[in-house]
Amino acid sequence: MAKRLKLIVSHAPFWHDGGSISKMNLNMILALMPAAIFGIVRFGVPALGVVALGISSAMLFEFLFNLVSRKPVTTGDFDAALIGLLFAMMVPAPTPWWVVVIGTFLAVVIGKQIYGGIGGNPFNPVVLSMAILMVSWPVFFDADAALVNYRFDFKALAPLPALKHQGAGALYHFNAGDLIMGDQIGSIGSIFPLGLLIGGIYLIVRGYIKWEVTVSFIAGLVATAFFFNLANPDSFAGPMIHLFSGYTLLAAFFLVTENSSSPVNFVPMLIYGALGGFLVILIRNVGVYPDGTIFAILLINLLNPLIDTIRPKALGRRVNNA
Amino acid sequence: MIKRSFLGVKKPVLKYDFVESEGKEPEQLPRPSSVVLLLDEPLDSTRINLVKTGDQVRENEKIYLYKNSREYVISPIQGEITSIESYPGEFGDIGTYLVVEKSDHERSGDTKTDVVESLAGPSLDTAEKYLKTLPGAPPFDVLAEKGSDIHTIVITGFDPDLMATTRRYFLSNLKEELKEGIRVLKDLTHVPKVAVTVPETVEDRPGFEGMQLMIISGAYPEALPLMIMKNHLNITVPPGKSCVDMGVCFISAEAVIAMARAFRDKTPSFEKVVTVTGKDGSRKTIKAMIGTRISEVFKALNININENDRVIINGPMQGFATFTLSHPVQPSMDSIIVQDVDDIQHISDYPCINCGNCIKICPANIPVNLLVRRLEANMFEDAAEKFDLQSCIECGLCSYVCTARIPLFQYIRLGKHELLQMKAEAETEERNG
Repeated sequence: MAKRLKLIVSHAPFWHDGGSISKMNLNMILALMPAAIFGIVRFGVPALGVVALGISSAMLFEFLFNLVSRKPVTTGDFDAALIGLLFAMMVPAPTPWWVVVIGTFLAVVIGKQIYGGIGGNPFNPVVLSMAILMVSWPVFFDADAALVNYRFDFKALAPLPALKHQGAGALYHFNAGDLIMGDQIGSIGSIFPLGLLIGGIYLIVRGYIKWEVTVSFIAGLVATAFFFNLANPDSFAGPMIHLFSGYTLLAAFFLVTENSSSPVNFVPMLIYGALGGFLVILIRNVGVYPDGTIFAILLINLLNPLIDTIRPKALGRRVNNA
Repeated sequence: MIKRSFLGVKKPVLKYDFVESEGKEPEQLPRPSSVVLLLDEPLDSTRINLVKTGDQVRENEKIYLYKNSREYVISPIQGEITSIESYPGEFGDIGTYLVVEKSDHERSGDTKTDVVESLAGPSLDTAEKYLKTLPGAPPFDVLAEKGSDIHTIVITGFDPDLMATTRRYFLSNLKEELKEGIRVLKDLTHVPKVAVTVPETVEDRPGFEGMQLMIISGAYPEALPLMIMKNHLNITVPPGKSCVDMGVCFISAEAVIAMARAFRDKTPSFEKVVTVTGKDGSRKTIKAMIGTRISEVFKALNININENDRVIINGPMQGFATFTLSHPVQPSMDSIIVQDVDDIQHISDYPCINCGNCIKICPANIPVNLLVRRLEANMFEDAAEKFDLQSCIECGLCSYVCTARIPLFQYIRLGKHELLQMKAEAETEERNG
């Protein structure tokens, strides 16, 4: 046959919508920026140090694991960078460097890579790492103790531990408006709910996170907190305090929506999110931990494969009841 | 190529292009001096061959490769067969191509079958024997074999894949001929029900009395046969069954018209209407003789093909990419798309990250995220039993939206292919005891 011109041969479809993992992760990182920058401005150089160390050490661990496991280098998908950033945003600014390094190691290697890397992890890597650290060295995650040397022009009290230890009576220090604008203490990335909201809504609009999970998580959380508050306003705070303090919004937009550990079908996504929101409040109000977000997410991660079996019948399949 | 929009919360929609072909006549390409004819049959030295290189063929002559062959081609020109070679297709499928060079050399002592004489009386048998290679590739073998089981014929006046306007051209511009063709088809097959797919933009709908009009109004993949079965005919096709199994046969409008013309003129036509899309997205409809090399199509349309470009035949979602510009215009070829090397989106070897885009877009509700994990691990039976592999309507949308850029559609096709293979092997073993 005539002249030999090399053509690219591949299989259908020949179009792609142009999305990719690196684009998705870069958008996630972009969406985290308002809250991260606010945290760095508020807590100064130590916060910057933690964020920089978090991202760099996470990427380094990913790279080293790629080398050890003789797999293609995957740092270019920015998944490790996102994990590092998220981890750094979840710890208080004065966290020692070795805690950050151990944390990113746990997240990247134990949380993600040993399951085969991206897409294989049954738990959210960051959340898993945080859970291990919080159980091992709880002292570093007590924002009140960690930030004792800082001076703020507002009441320097972490809302959730105050709530836990002093009951709803401690809440006269706080109002939802100040909390949203970032007048609270806590971890680097969780103290600025407005920034998290902006970033999260950006991600939902762009379609990079599962809005069903976020919405039902917030709905579940607000509803549960509302009923607790209704039952006993003296010991349980109202939904707004819960919504804008602790890891709530960071979790709602960036943690529970983590692809690999969350469902993909519509109804399961709703159940998953609502259950998460419910568990967060349950642990906060009834459990021993001031902020139940971490363990609540681990629990729903565990249930994810089971919930996600609820799915519509495929085309041509009939209902086959056994 | 349609890219992801900035607003990603809604699932992407690939709209069919409803713009009319403006009644413009397709550009007629010159008759080529040599043609390439493809046969879906591998070369086999153990069989008695009926043609060899150097043979003279007449115009309209039917050519079989071997004795007892069922596949045939009809030469559109008079000339000499200059080569017979293997032509590799998908999944290791091997076909054969013949090159016929034009010559005026008359052959003496003619014994081979001539199509023209056989077309005197319209019948399904004749159609199957002589008209399978008409433009539009009418499935006469299906109709002849399963004629009594077919209760509905759907004439597709709308192209199922994107970037093609071929069938629409026949529906809107040659309506009278189409009606005539449908009448002939009804006489041939005695099928009780005939339906026509019509794009929503065709205003002038009356004239198809006694037929169901299926208005295609939405986005891809609404015009795919299995979607039409579901949306317009309300027939559930069980996994692993085809439309024909359910008694529905799809024929393109072009094929119906070509058949009517063949019976009317007592000679088959070889003029295939093809929609050609260039690198810049400009679209042109052409009329080319079956067997014309696509390199000649590009030459006529001034489309330059460079190294590492991609030439896509039969649509961006379901088609295939050819490796040679000598690929001929075939009866079933509705569109050719040229992609510049810089426009080609590459796939990756990443695993599924469970983002759920495929689940949202799948029109058949297949758990693609779970399915692909089985297919990657070669668990084809598991995939079919528990994860609905056989429900796939092969629209390709999952690959289109895949964040990890996994070749999902190819995995699915491979899975189906492997299952067929396994079934065939099991049957052979059973027969051999």
